[in-house]
Amino acid sequence: MPVNNTQAETEKLIMRLYKSAFPPVARYVAKMGGSFDDARDVFQDALVIYYEKAAAGKLELQKTESAYLLGIAKHLWFKKYRDGLYDVSLDQFEGPEFADKADPQPSEGRLLYYLETAGKKCMEILSAFYYDKLPMKQIAGLFGYAGERSVTVQKYKCLEKVRETIKQNALQYEDFID
Amino acid sequence: MRTLLTETQQIDEHVQGTAAPDEALLFEAKLLLDAELPLKVQWHKQTLGLVQQYGRKNLVSIIGDVHNQLFTLPQHQSFRQKILQLFR
Repeated sequence: MPVNNTQAETEKLIMRLYKSAFPPVARYVAKMGGSFDDARDVFQDALVIYYEKAAAGKLELQKTESAYLLGIAKHLWFKKYRDGLYDVSLDQFEGPEFADKADPQPSEGRLLYYLETAGKKCMEILSAFYYDKLPMKQIAGLFGYAGERSVTVQKYKCLEKVRETIKQNALQYEDFID
Repeated sequence: MRTLLTETQQIDEHVQGTAAPDEALLFEAKLLLDAELPLKVQWHKQTLGLVQQYGRKNLVSIIGDVHNQLFTLPQHQSFRQKILQLFR
């Protein structure tokens, strides 16, 4: 799967995958006695997993996109059937690579909200690099940097900026619990 | 030629596991000597966790938009019918 470039291209990609792979997934879920909402939930989680695997270069190339998505969806459905619940499957199936290694901070939601607003550009650059795993050259083009060198410098500045925000947040929290 | 790495680069390579063996060893030593460095590593991991959450949230929102388009817009009516009839 060609991983995205821009928001619009990601949307095009998701549209294509939806059209080709949702019908077989919906057919499977219906056959298993699930509802339309079940099919939607399972498929949407499968899309996220598929995208993240593709971005990380972890797809087995011999399978078609549709077959891959159906396979993931069946796995998710099986978990739902076995557990009788379908809640946090996505995080259980394939959690964030680093989040679980760090101690969870109680104010992470607030922190993310803050970063989405005050540090949006940095979060976009960092997610293009670490989430979408796009090549530096492409990120430079997308964000209007002269070249790989200047976007790399910006990436590290952004890492420092976000880290500083986290640090301040942690210090505030320490004050709070003292 | 590789230029001297900044501390943030070193932290990132340490967390990602991409540091060259000699640099990795040097970094391990620094971790023992610099009291603030382990904290910086911790914050760095948290940064990457937040970036992951941010990226995933954005993707989930695009997926939701596509779903809404497919299940509301007139041009996707035949697709919609094909799916909905499976659940009748």
